[in-house]
Amino acid sequence: MVSPASHNGSNNGSGAPARSRTVRFRIQRCEGPAKPSRWEEFDVPVEAGAGANVISCLQLIAANPVTVDGKRTTPVVWDSGCLEEVCGSCTMVINGRVRQSCSCLIDNDAPNDGDVVTLQPMSKFPVVRDLWVDRARMFDSLRKIKAWVPIDGLHDQGAGPRERPKTQQTRYVHSTCMSCGCCLEACPQYKLEEDPDDWDTAFIGAAAIGQVRLFNKHETGAELAGERLDALMGPGGVTDCGNAQNCVKVCPKEIPLTEAIADMGRAVALHGLKKFFRGK
Amino acid sequence: MASKEPFMQRHHFLLRRLHSFTGVFPIGVFLIVHLTTNASIVWGRLGVATEKSHGGVATFQHEVEFIHSLPALLLIEIFGLWLPIAFHSILGVYYATTGKSNIKHYRYQDNWRYTMQRISGYIGVLFIFYHVATLRWGWTWLPFASGFNFREASSTTAIALRGGSEEIGFGAVVIGLFYLVGVLMLVFHFANGLWTAAITWGVTITEQAQRRWGYVCAGLGFGLAGLALAALVGFVTLDIDEAREYERARIIELESAAAPDQQAGQLENALARH
Repeated sequence: MVSPASHNGSNNGSGAPARSRTVRFRIQRCEGPAKPSRWEEFDVPVEAGAGANVISCLQLIAANPVTVDGKRTTPVVWDSGCLEEVCGSCTMVINGRVRQSCSCLIDNDAPNDGDVVTLQPMSKFPVVRDLWVDRARMFDSLRKIKAWVPIDGLHDQGAGPRERPKTQQTRYVHSTCMSCGCCLEACPQYKLEEDPDDWDTAFIGAAAIGQVRLFNKHETGAELAGERLDALMGPGGVTDCGNAQNCVKVCPKEIPLTEAIADMGRAVALHGLKKFFRGK
Repeated sequence: MASKEPFMQRHHFLLRRLHSFTGVFPIGVFLIVHLTTNASIVWGRLGVATEKSHGGVATFQHEVEFIHSLPALLLIEIFGLWLPIAFHSILGVYYATTGKSNIKHYRYQDNWRYTMQRISGYIGVLFIFYHVATLRWGWTWLPFASGFNFREASSTTAIALRGGSEEIGFGAVVIGLFYLVGVLMLVFHFANGLWTAAITWGVTITEQAQRRWGYVCAGLGFGLAGLALAALVGFVTLDIDEAREYERARIIELESAAAPDQQAGQLENALARH
């Protein structure tokens, strides 16, 4: 198995990263939705040990947006929020591999003078501008699989059922999913769908399947278990998984997505069998 | 409203699961039986052959005769093999086109398997079609093709694997390689498919369970590949004259048992076919 971090740079056995160096950023740029894209390159000075990441370099580029050819251009646009790998909004394709740009440290990924860092927007979501994509489809998927615990109402519903610690342990890691989209970007079965009308039948992807596991294993959340499984049985559901298992390898939260897929495969098989013999 | 949905969407789950199921049963089970039967031809060269097996020719002939003695064989073939294979192939190609391999950027072993499963499927469909069309349906007008006669199972198979010739020439290289690649692709497709089927049906859920089942499937795959290679080597290196000698003796034996008084005439007919 290829180690994901060793993709393009990482310390080439030379030990510590070069102290004062220039890192070249090759960035795929796009003016707006459905506009053609182009490449631009920027040189960014980096000090070793200063903790530079892709975002801090993008900030330097924004402060002085001049390409390596000396041409003044517009600042590169990107999306970001927490800067500590828990919100998922700064996800982009770095050196061909999807990850969060905030946790991509330049000392690790471009340790030598003249190293190149290639930045591209995720290809499975429509580009808003430059590196900023619209992940609305991910939230539509959460709606489709009813990723919530149904406790609507203002009246006192009493104490909820008891959660077992073992189940809670299984669930916890799934609750760390931040809908960043890494698993979808790396999935060969998940495709860009610009038209929201196609979202319902296109493959939903690993993130949402993991959320079905999270909520179906919750004692109160299980109230909607059947409806969630119905959603996963239809077109675009868990059956459309092709078992390439890239999702689990690129997930920054190390969520056992392939286990969730197998678990939901079992659940829909039993659900389908029950429905067949019970009828509607 | 439900009835307005396209057929493929309305029965999405059932079709997907039938696709998975048919890959294991009957197709996968048949593959195991088929490759095991074929491998008996190599016995003569492994020293396990007895006087009675005639270097595997008699054992292979025996197995083939057993298959041809099954009642309603054509119905078994149509509903037990051809339709399931056609179903699995057509849906498989359709499903394969819904994905787009990204092996260039995500060079994981599992991602290779994903890509190879689709490539092996495409090649496998072409191979099975040629294999069944020439040896079962007798479409000998296909390139390098010759037919199969179940009374002369070993010799006709050996000739077919040599590209329709008794000599090992250009046709033998082409067809031999085609069979080699085709069979190995199908063995991979089955072994990997058996591994993913356990995920699809939720039999292996944890990573550890998937890894263990992976060893089992890999072992089965290497075993089947060994059987397939043995059969290929066995048929390509078969002494066709020796095989014919046994097969003719067997024809005489069968026909004299069936109708002793007409023996002479039928024997003449049988031999005239050569």
